Amino acid sequence: MATEACSPRLAPATPRSILRALLLTLPIAVWSLLMFFHPGTHTDPKSRIAATMTAVFMTVLFFMMMRTRKTYRWRRWFFVSLGILFPIGFIYNLVLARGTMGIPIEEMIAGRTPFCFLAIPLLIVPAALTKTIVFPGSITASGHAIAIMVGLWLALTLVLGKGWCAYACFFGGIEEGMAAIPPRARIRKIDPRWRYGPWAVLLAMVLLSFALFEPAYCMWLCPFKAVTEYVSARNAVGVLQNVIFIVLFAGLVILLPLLTKKRTQCSFFCPFGAFQSIFNKISIFEVKIDRTRCKSCTVCQTACPTMSLSKESIARGETLLSCMKCGACVDACPQQAAVWHIKGTEIAWKPERARLMFLYGAWAMAVMFGGSIIAQGLVTILHFLT
Amino acid sequence: MAAFVVFGEALTLGLVSGPACMAACGPVLVPSLLSEQTGFRPHLRFLSTFLGARLLGYLLFAAGAWEIGTLVSMLPASRLLLMGAVNVLLAGVLLWYAYSARQICGPSCSSSKLVNIGTTKDHRVAGAAVLGFLTGFSLCPPFVAAGVRAAELGSVAQALLFFFFFFVGTSVWFVPFIGISCIARNQAVITVARMAMVLIALFYLSLGIAMLMGRKVYGY
Repeated sequence: MATEACSPRLAPATPRSILRALLLTLPIAVWSLLMFFHPGTHTDPKSRIAATMTAVFMTVLFFMMMRTRKTYRWRRWFFVSLGILFPIGFIYNLVLARGTMGIPIEEMIAGRTPFCFLAIPLLIVPAALTKTIVFPGSITASGHAIAIMVGLWLALTLVLGKGWCAYACFFGGIEEGMAAIPPRARIRKIDPRWRYGPWAVLLAMVLLSFALFEPAYCMWLCPFKAVTEYVSARNAVGVLQNVIFIVLFAGLVILLPLLTKKRTQCSFFCPFGAFQSIFNKISIFEVKIDRTRCKSCTVCQTACPTMSLSKESIARGETLLSCMKCGACVDACPQQAAVWHIKGTEIAWKPERARLMFLYGAWAMAVMFGGSIIAQGLVTILHFLT
Repeated sequence: MAAFVVFGEALTLGLVSGPACMAACGPVLVPSLLSEQTGFRPHLRFLSTFLGARLLGYLLFAAGAWEIGTLVSMLPASRLLLMGAVNVLLAGVLLWYAYSARQICGPSCSSSKLVNIGTTKDHRVAGAAVLGFLTGFSLCPPFVAAGVRAAELGSVAQALLFFFFFFVGTSVWFVPFIGISCIARNQAVITVARMAMVLIALFYLSLGIAMLMGRKVYGY
């Protein structure tokens, strides 16, 4: 009976009319203009061009999401661009400011390093108690500024859950781009126990950070040090740290995504991703599997870039805690059984409306965080081109 | 009266440096506790074994400290070698422990036996004991301070008593670890704990090798 009631959804997703899609895009277009063209910004033509390009890019992608009713492929354009342009802008600024990508240990201890959101979960309690950031970061403003930053992250995370990892993280784009290159995966059978990797890294790094009184993950294991700021290799230990960064980057961000078509660093390693997963329990948005439609073909399981679906979870009609709400499974499902869902409502209750509500929040966050980074990367490229 | 002051000093030193000891032992203690059975009794057994072996390590160190005279006179190269060897051994035991913990039974298991490491049935030993003994040899600043003070005492018995009271002071801080018994065990928790143990072991291994090669790491 339930299947009959929902049968119209079984027809291939028909595109929205251009007018309707434009109307739905209007709030994001206004938001993009607000973000990139507020008074007092872009005094030089290069940044004006970069801001215009970014605003158009973000708005067009959202329009395409509205028009085609598909999420993943359009989001991926944004996310890969973010992943590629972030190191370009970041490295350029770093070299401009310091003359090198290598940061000496004393600079790190003094907190004169670029701030990284990976440190957020570890700074909340010390910042609340002492109004200082214990982990390296260049935000040395008052406790008020720190509270705003953490509050913003917390508000977005409470609403979107692990959506942060698919719409705001500037590290995941490179591996998502790598995973998109091969037509099919060379390694298909992956032991599901590797999914516990991020939790193990989180546990190990929290404990080692307490023991060593230093950010152990930033000092020893972050693969993205290879494309951001690294530890100055002034001795054997520094060389070892950098070798670890490069090997992890080459393996988890380049090679394994090419072989598996999965975001391997996010799925098997990232401790921040594990921390974000907890908020999926609180977030009202989720992806569910409508059991009345599901034919157990496991197409969604193959499509999921983070191994957040298993046969058992599909049978239960839900994704695993690590789901980052990228929409890959929803777009891939031939039965339209994978649906966007708002907690507390019936599973078949207007999934497209749930998708829209989620996407407005997620895309607003993408424009705010990712958009500014994309614009910065474009400015750097324009600087070299002209 | 003098003895009371000295041992009071040891107890106080242990109490105030307890958080540092807790932080230093955390990477070894938390994952190994998480890969044991759930429940109060197994955790109590684990912690008492761990702390008992740690006390043994402390007392051996106290005897050594008194015998050598003072840790300050210990050559930096020898100190590096000692710490390097302890770190490599600790890494080896953690890896072995992670491997041995694979057969832990599920939540319905009523056994409160600890994870044993060893090749044959006759030569097996509780992993908690080996880990406790090796962490007892940690040359953290409060431990070295206690060692230097113990070396100044008149007899080996006094040095041993000094370290005993120092141990009692630090051990108070280990009581909260019993709270880990509240975390329900399932395959996911045990796998996470074992994976974390491997990561931590690799860290200690690289640290140990660097120290054995004569490289100063973290001030040691």
